Amino acid sequence: MDFYYGLAQIIGVHTLLGLSAYIVLLTGQVSLAQAGFFAIGAYAAGMLTVLFGWPIVPALAVGAILGAIVACAVGFPALRVRGLMLVIATLAFGEGVRLFFFNFDYQIARGDIKVGPLGGEGFRQIRYFPENGWTTFEVMLFIWAIVAIVMAVLWWFDRSRYGAVLRAVGEDEVAAQSVGINLTAVKVSAMTIGGAVAGVGGGLYAHYTTHIEHTSFNILVATFAIAYPIVGGLASVFGTLAAVVFVQGFLVEGLRFLGDWRNLLFGALIVLAMNLRPDGLVDARVLGRLARVFRGVRRA
Amino acid sequence: MLDLLQAILDGVMFGATYALIGIGFTLVFGVMHKINMAYAAASVGGAYCGLLVLVAFKGAPAWAVFLGAFAAGGVLGYLVYLACFHFIPLANPLATLMSTVGMLLLIDEIVVHTTDGMPQNYPAMFDDVMLRAGELSIRGDLLLIFGVGVACMAVLLALLYRTRLGLATRAVSQQPVAAQLCGIRVAQVNAATFVITGLLGGLAGALIGASVGALSPLLTVPLTVKGLIVTVIGGLGSIPGAIVAGLLVGGFENLFQQFRGVTERDLYVMLLLFAFLVFRPGGIFASGAGRD
Amino acid sequence: MKTLATAVAAALAAMALGLPSGAAAQERTVKIAGFGAKSGVVRSFGVNSEAALLAAAEEINKAGGIKLGDGAKGKIAVEFYDDRCNAEEGISVIRRIASADWVVAVGPTCSNVAEPLFGILQKKVEDAGDSGLQMPVFTDVAIKVGLAKISQWAFRNVPNEFTMYSSLFNFVRTEFPDVKSVYGGVEEDFAHSRATWYAVMKNRADANGFKVLGESKWLLNDTNFATQVREMKKADADAIAISAHPFTTCGVLKEMQRQGVKPKVLIGLTSSSSLETLEGCAKQAEGMIIPTSFAPVNPKALAAAKSTSKFKGNADLHSMAAWENVFILKQVMESEKVLAKPDTVAADRRKIRDGLAKLKTTDGLIGVSRRDTDGEAEKPYLFVRAKNGQWTVYHNPL
Repeated sequence: MDFYYGLAQIIGVHTLLGLSAYIVLLTGQVSLAQAGFFAIGAYAAGMLTVLFGWPIVPALAVGAILGAIVACAVGFPALRVRGLMLVIATLAFGEGVRLFFFNFDYQIARGDIKVGPLGGEGFRQIRYFPENGWTTFEVMLFIWAIVAIVMAVLWWFDRSRYGAVLRAVGEDEVAAQSVGINLTAVKVSAMTIGGAVAGVGGGLYAHYTTHIEHTSFNILVATFAIAYPIVGGLASVFGTLAAVVFVQGFLVEGLRFLGDWRNLLFGALIVLAMNLRPDGLVDARVLGRLARVFRGVRRA
Repeated sequence: MLDLLQAILDGVMFGATYALIGIGFTLVFGVMHKINMAYAAASVGGAYCGLLVLVAFKGAPAWAVFLGAFAAGGVLGYLVYLACFHFIPLANPLATLMSTVGMLLLIDEIVVHTTDGMPQNYPAMFDDVMLRAGELSIRGDLLLIFGVGVACMAVLLALLYRTRLGLATRAVSQQPVAAQLCGIRVAQVNAATFVITGLLGGLAGALIGASVGALSPLLTVPLTVKGLIVTVIGGLGSIPGAIVAGLLVGGFENLFQQFRGVTERDLYVMLLLFAFLVFRPGGIFASGAGRD
Repeated sequence: MKTLATAVAAALAAMALGLPSGAAAQERTVKIAGFGAKSGVVRSFGVNSEAALLAAAEEINKAGGIKLGDGAKGKIAVEFYDDRCNAEEGISVIRRIASADWVVAVGPTCSNVAEPLFGILQKKVEDAGDSGLQMPVFTDVAIKVGLAKISQWAFRNVPNEFTMYSSLFNFVRTEFPDVKSVYGGVEEDFAHSRATWYAVMKNRADANGFKVLGESKWLLNDTNFATQVREMKKADADAIAISAHPFTTCGVLKEMQRQGVKPKVLIGLTSSSSLETLEGCAKQAEGMIIPTSFAPVNPKALAAAKSTSKFKGNADLHSMAAWENVFILKQVMESEKVLAKPDTVAADRRKIRDGLAKLKTTDGLIGVSRRDTDGEAEKPYLFVRAKNGQWTVYHNPL
């Protein structure tokens, strides 16, 4: 059972990573910077619990806030570029954050050993969970409580005016502007929320792997961040969740019995998925059908 | 001072490799307004296929391997087109982006499985030639790469501006619907674009392998990133821009390394990119004909 | 009467079938899990480790298997999991292994997986409040310095680079008296190679009376070494020590050839004494001296290499550590009286951990290794040199 709890933890944190890119994708911006905000949340939360003895919830909150602030700062210059250039600019920013942590040292002596991030060697011994006796099950519940809250908030956005505004900007900026929508406010706010979600995800990541280094936040992680909402479909938050389950649950763990073929199938199945379902696994049609099923159940 | 000049010169010469990869990226973007994230992977894959020539004919000369990579690159380019662009509706840029990412992962894994991840020695031409310009020295094989890059640029520009295929390509890049109405087969033009950039990519991969001395799956992601940066700095869709930007990025890279060391070098390259995006978002040679 | 007889006969038959027959019950399975990287540039490590584990298990099984605590014999079953050199996946793999009935895990390949993985293990055995995983992990490859002390459930059988390079520089001083200065080349963004230059090579060269003139730095993915080799040329040291993995080592060596940099002595990084370096640049690596903890220098080592190649793996210092691990585990399991029954898994794991912690020496393929209280090993070593595209034994201090 421990293994399934661990897998659920991974799915939870990756869902947060995916959701942070999801909200930015709704406004039509493809952001490869989410791994950078993820890293900021990870280092911040880790440093607070390890170096300053903070409890986990305030540490995660600070990680989220820092992620949000930096994302907001990135959101403004991101307005000036669009399309491919935004992809590259955000990629460059994400790499910049990774390189910053590659050069970042901040160590404090704890007894006779030094703790804290040490540049290329990474940040080891972030053992808040095991030291405080949290079982794998409890950590999983904690992570999923946070994921549930974030998904509920984003789901509520989607059913409110804000969600409609976000999608309007994503569909057609000119039309949205002509209806009086403030593009700057919408795009930057989406980026900020994405940064906050990524910050929380990063903080959780640091604590359940107990060791982070700059290579944990590389281009591959940034690519996975946008892969989840794209493969899952932008119609709803459940698309991202479905994609994370598909990738982490099925492709990574489920296909293990195939041995060496698993890695080859990974790329191939993503190509196949995009060819067969270009609007994502959970697109508008699937959503409609699911809604009808639930309405039918309720009536019965 | 001499050290600095030599460092810059070394960097600029190595930038020729970035230029070669950048040309392919920028061409695909210029024509289809889509990013092909699998381009560098397909180029490196083509280079690996070139090694099969050595497997078949033990003592084959370097140019035979390059030719093999050239041909294999074209085939791979077409396969990437089929897998990632042919069946997905063009109105779905995100789906094509993600499928090229899947293709990148797939090509990388195939390479890793066949070579067990080990670096493969690559034959080179002129790799022991060092030209001297006074106190400075220039690598002969990088000069060859630069020459190939310029030649490719000339061939591609001739293709684009003096052939029917080029005319059709430019038409499709400007107004695909109108081009279709004129009877141009958009799918065929796009496939041709991929084959041509694939051929160039295979050659680029082979030459890069030759200049590094060995091929490794480690090359793929950094080349992808450099290629994208060069594309943006040079101007989306501009081939001369890609060449100039490649040399520029190479030169600045070494300059930053000289001043701030290797750990901070890439940070400054990113800042250079940001500077371009802020002050010259169109790139060095902003392409007027494109739509983005 | 007839019905009674039939009933009694049936009852006797049932009892006979129900009772465990003498011979069948004596054979149980001892499950050893292997894990490591079978993807990416480090794929060859995982492939070789898996081959070595399977080969060692086969050899032990052919000789009768492991003697279990209650007198029965146990045959070893090995299964290898791929963690793709990814920390999260490595943790998922060890949880998967721990949730099943494997009694010990051998791995991982990558140090960046080992460090997080050791972090989720229980730190101290007596700490009941520590909810970390209680699973013994015996590492074969991950070599970054100082990892086993992270947890009392973590043990490693990897060479001690400090001792080896200390001996190597001492040897160079006596063998090449005209070599007075050393210059280094270091891969800065890879924890292992970086730590080895600064904390080991530079330190030991200096301690042995060499003048360390400095170092050139590059990154794991780098492809252009012109500036760095120019620095080397200017320093004009007698010896050059390169602390980098095969890809960049080959790149640097080729650039050195291009710029005409020929040091009197060329020293390499432990893990580069493998087939990879020779595949990439055999010609340029000619003469490179590397300390290693394995070479086929005696019949036992040769046999191990041959068995491993049957399973399509190469024998090098990394995979042969995996081979040694299986035999060490056999010794530990027999002395701790492991039972290998489905209901004794947790107890067996604890016995194996305690047994590994008690070990002071272990039998290696080229000599006896010592073990310290941190769970690390001090392995016997020798120096190999690249000659004609092969790693040949240059000096055997044993």
